[in-house]
Amino acid sequence: MSRLAPSSPLAALRPGAATAFGAPAIAMGATFLAFGAAVREGGLGLPWALGAALLIYGMPGQLILLQFAGAGAAGGVAPAVLGAAAANARFLPMAVALTPWLGNRASRWLALPFIAITPWAAAMRALPGLPQPARLPWFLGFALVSWSIAGLATAVGHWLAPLLDPALMAALLFANPLYFALLLAAGLGQPASRRAVLAGVLAAPVALLLPPAWGLLAAGLLGGTAAFLLGLRHARR
Amino acid sequence: MPAADLALLLMALAMLALRGAGMLVAGALRPEHPFILWATAVSQAVLAVFVTLAVLAPSGAVATVPLPARLAGLLAGLLAYAVLRGRLLPALGAGLLALAGVRALLGG
Repeated sequence: MSRLAPSSPLAALRPGAATAFGAPAIAMGATFLAFGAAVREGGLGLPWALGAALLIYGMPGQLILLQFAGAGAAGGVAPAVLGAAAANARFLPMAVALTPWLGNRASRWLALPFIAITPWAAAMRALPGLPQPARLPWFLGFALVSWSIAGLATAVGHWLAPLLDPALMAALLFANPLYFALLLAAGLGQPASRRAVLAGVLAAPVALLLPPAWGLLAAGLLGGTAAFLLGLRHARR
Repeated sequence: MPAADLALLLMALAMLALRGAGMLVAGALRPEHPFILWATAVSQAVLAVFVTLAVLAPSGAVATVPLPARLAGLLAGLLAYAVLRGRLLPALGAGLLALAGVRALLGG
């Protein structure tokens, strides 16, 4: 088998793809496996499971939509979609934060369907240390592997659903927040990240006072804005 | 079209719109622009809220795991991450093992 030339487009994807095979793959695979099983338990088929996993590609929104669809689609499509979209509304600030790192060429729009927590968090960690031409290929390499793993794990979970006991499902679902906690811990050395993470933890109770679909974004807006303003004040001193 | 499929289609379009709007807004800005820094802080805070709620006040299947087991999983993962100098995969494994171990001990 011939090796890819270092300058080929596929070779440029390799560093990001290699990073995605590891802890991100385990966390992503575990969570989407549990999602696939939950979809089957909700009485829905594999095409719906794959559509939700790959086209929504954001777990809180997927789960809210599954609650609606798995319950016989009662209560109206519009409120269900609105609630699920609100639960994934973090994609907006994440896309804003990520886009400047992807360069100015039109090809950066290739990243559009892959902006989600896992690729975003990994990219925000890796991209600042890379030269500009390597950033978009790194993100696409990482994102394509993560997205493929999400789809594959969803299909496997849908297939394995009758064999998974509730304790295992719970452990699989916990892999995702644990992975994110480790990523956040990795950024704690930077003052801006430290402020944002601490403010987010402190603002979390606010989410419990609001409807679940809105609570996450509202608490994040509160905590993130407070952290940003604190950072501005600190910089002016 | 069945309501479940229609909801999925509309949701997929809404997700593209959210991501696209973010890319459009940020397209002309540099990473150090205050708006980008604000959006980064909000995104990190959202992630921190997500993790905090998943550990302290989860819903769904994770809520069946006793709180001490969830806390043990988080602390073991973070401790392993620090001791192993930032190696994500063993830290993730250590956290999940601790969660399963404490859950088994508690009989939960």
